[in-house]
Parts: sequence; C-alpha cells; structure tokens
Amino acid sequence: MEFNQNLNKDMNGNRSTNKETLQAKDLINVGIFTAIYFVLFFAGMILGYLPVFIPLLGFVCPVLCGIPFMLYLTKVKKFGMVSLTGIILGLLNMLMGSGILVLISGVLFGVAADLILRAGKYQSWKCTLFGSGIFALWIMGFISRMFLTRTEYFESLASSYGQEYVDTLMSYTPGWMFPVLFALTFAGGIVGALLGRGVLKKHFERAGIA
Amino acid sequence: MDTALSLPFEIKSAVKIDPRTKIFLTVTVSTIMVAGGTGGWMRFVRPSLAVFPVLALLAAGRWKAVLRFGITYAVLFTLELLALVHLTGAAGFLLGAVIGIYTHMLPGFLMGCYLIETTTVSEFVAAMERMHISQKIVIPVSVVFRFFPTVREEYAAIGDAMKMRGISSLRNPVKMLEYRIVPLMISVAKIGEELSAAALTRGLGAPQKRTNICAIGFGAVDVLLSAAAVFCWIGFCIG
Repeated sequence: MEFNQNLNKDMNGNRSTNKETLQAKDLINVGIFTAIYFVLFFAGMILGYLPVFIPLLGFVCPVLCGIPFMLYLTKVKKFGMVSLTGIILGLLNMLMGSGILVLISGVLFGVAADLILRAGKYQSWKCTLFGSGIFALWIMGFISRMFLTRTEYFESLASSYGQEYVDTLMSYTPGWMFPVLFALTFAGGIVGALLGRGVLKKHFERAGIA
Repeated sequence: MDTALSLPFEIKSAVKIDPRTKIFLTVTVSTIMVAGGTGGWMRFVRPSLAVFPVLALLAAGRWKAVLRFGITYAVLFTLELLALVHLTGAAGFLLGAVIGIYTHMLPGFLMGCYLIETTTVSEFVAAMERMHISQKIVIPVSVVFRFFPTVREEYAAIGDAMKMRGISSLRNPVKMLEYRIVPLMISVAKIGEELSAAALTRGLGAPQKRTNICAIGFGAVDVLLSAAAVFCWIGFCIG
C-alpha cells in the first residue's frame, strides 16, 4: 500500500508531501473521470455503427470526450493517472467485446500521452493540447482491426450484418484511409481539448470545481 | 429498495457465481457475439450465448431487465422477419444495420448489466485481491462501476429539470450538448469529492491490509460455466 503514507494530509489531495506516488484520492479521481469519459465515448460510439459515420468516429468521440478530459487534466498532477485511464478504458472495452487490440492501444497511447503531459509538468498548455491529441488515438484500437486483419474482419461482418453493409463499409474505408483516420482522430483530440478548455473557462472555473 | 435493507456487501442470488467467472463470461458473450460469424459451430454457440445472459438475470431475480430486453429482442426479430425482406435500398440497409447491431450488442450488454447489478464493490475488490491485481487498477475500476448508475441517474435528473423549465431538444445540438454535459459533470465531480471523502474515512488506502467479509471462491457452478465458456471459445476459433 505504498500510495498512502500521509492519511491525515490528503483530504485535500494536493497538500500531500509524497509528490510522486498516487494516493487513494487520485485513484478515485481516475475512476470518476474514466466513468464520465466512457459514457460520453459510448454515446458517440453508437453513431459509429452506421457505416457512413465510421470515418468520423475517430473525430466525433474525442471532441465529445474533450470536456471531461480537460476537467480531468486539471486534477492530474502526477504521472500515472492518464496512463491508468488509458488502461482502464482498454479493459472496459475489452469487456464489451472489442478485442485485445483496444487494450493494447489504450495502454500505448495512455502512457504516451502521460509522458507528454509530464514533459510539460502537467501545466503547459502546449503539452496538454498535444497530449490530448495523442490520448485520443487510443480509439484507433477499434478501427485498426478493420485494416490490420482486413479480410477476416470483413468476413465475420458479412456473415452477420449482410454483404451490403460490408460492401458499403469497404468502399468507405480503403487502405489509404488508415493514416488519414489517425490524423483525423488526432485532430479530434485537439478540437476536443480546445472545446474542453472553452467550457472549462466558461463554466467550471466559475463554479469552482476546476 | 430491498437491496438497501439487506446487507449491502452481498447480494442474494439463487445461483452464486464468482465475480471472476462473471467477468470471464461477460468477455466470452460480448466478444463472440460481436466478432463471431454465424456458420458452422457458431450455429449452436450463438443462440446459447444469446440465451445465457437472460437465464443468468432470471436466476438473479431481475425480472424487469429480462422483460425489457426480451421485448426489444422480440420486436427486432419480428422486424427482421417481416420488414427487412420487403425493404430495399437505403431504408433496408439502414434497418438491417440497426437490427444487426442491436442483436449483436444486446446479449453482451445484458451480460454487462448482470455483472454490474449482481456484483457489489466489496465482492469485486475481494475477487481482484485474490488475483493479486494492483490497487492502482482495482480502486479506479471499482469507482467506474460504482459511477455508471450515478451518471445515469444524474443524467435523468438533468433531463427532468430541463423539461420543467421547458427547455426541450432540437433547437441547437451544440447548445444542448453544453446544457446536458456541463451540469452532469459538475454534479458528478461533486459526488466524486464526497465519495472520496467517505472512502478515505472508511480507511481506503490506509497502510494496513484490508480485510474483506465477502465469501469469494470457485464452486461447481463456476467450473461448469467456465468449461462451457471454453467450449464456446473453441467453437469461435475453429469457426
């Protein structure tokens, strides 16, 4: 239980003397914001099943999730929280039946975003913007399956959704779309961060929770 | 309401399944239903996986959830049989996609409901401790599960408040997003503050090792269900 050596001090979280390890309070914050993030992400995800929207999925979800993510980052002062969010989002989606790729991308981009944020000491706006874009890329775990194991994926889709669905989806997602989708998702993360900061300034700072 | 009266750390159920088995079963149902095909062995695997969550929920006494999902499933199935063959072009395509998605997602979703509704946080923590999973994963994940119902309740309450003031949908999607999400996040952040204060008071994260009153362990039911799930995976892999 290394995360709590100063129980009487961390009711306010940020006064703790132990700056590097995560306290129980931090872990609870991770849980809260991951829950909101996941709910909003899922709301965006429902759109994505109509094939027309699949290319947009990577853009829409991070924009929606930008608001909780930016509020979350105001609470993040230590390394590990954003990584944990990535890991848990991956685990949750694996539980929902999205395969192991999502977990891998969740871990990968969660840690990468965390490293970027740490480079800015969780203060610098440039690093926050960039980190938010990188974090959004975990969503590519869903879409990667469509490109990395293309034939198998579409075969399994064809047997259950019908050939017409598959044909439409295939025509919307040619191979060159893969890097484009990466860029689009990154852009989604950036736009989400900007939107989130706008909302943060307009509402949350006034309400005293950011 | 009766859960509030009975002991909150355990939920009585006709069939007691270990949380670890539940998690394994949820992954099995959702993954195979979403990613699996329909031919070969899957002709037997798929229906049984679709029926299993319903049985599990019945065993846990969740009649309402079973009824709700049963009706949804029946409506979709009749739509598929009656309407889909007559529709062509965009409408048929759209309906086909929607039906396909729902019939694929519903069993996994139902299984997730079962997992969350029948597992208390204490049981979950006890099971994860048995597996020696780090507290850094266990605490956030249990908070996430604790928060899904809260988010839903708060969202409904915001909807009610908006209705009372006559602010209804579809005037401006971006504005609606703001009206919905901002209060939701404020209330959830506040609840979170209270939750962490309560949890810390109760000794979460105290240096001592926590003890747990929940009886966790694998029984005959767990072995049986896990074996069945392994068979489903074999069926899934060989197609």
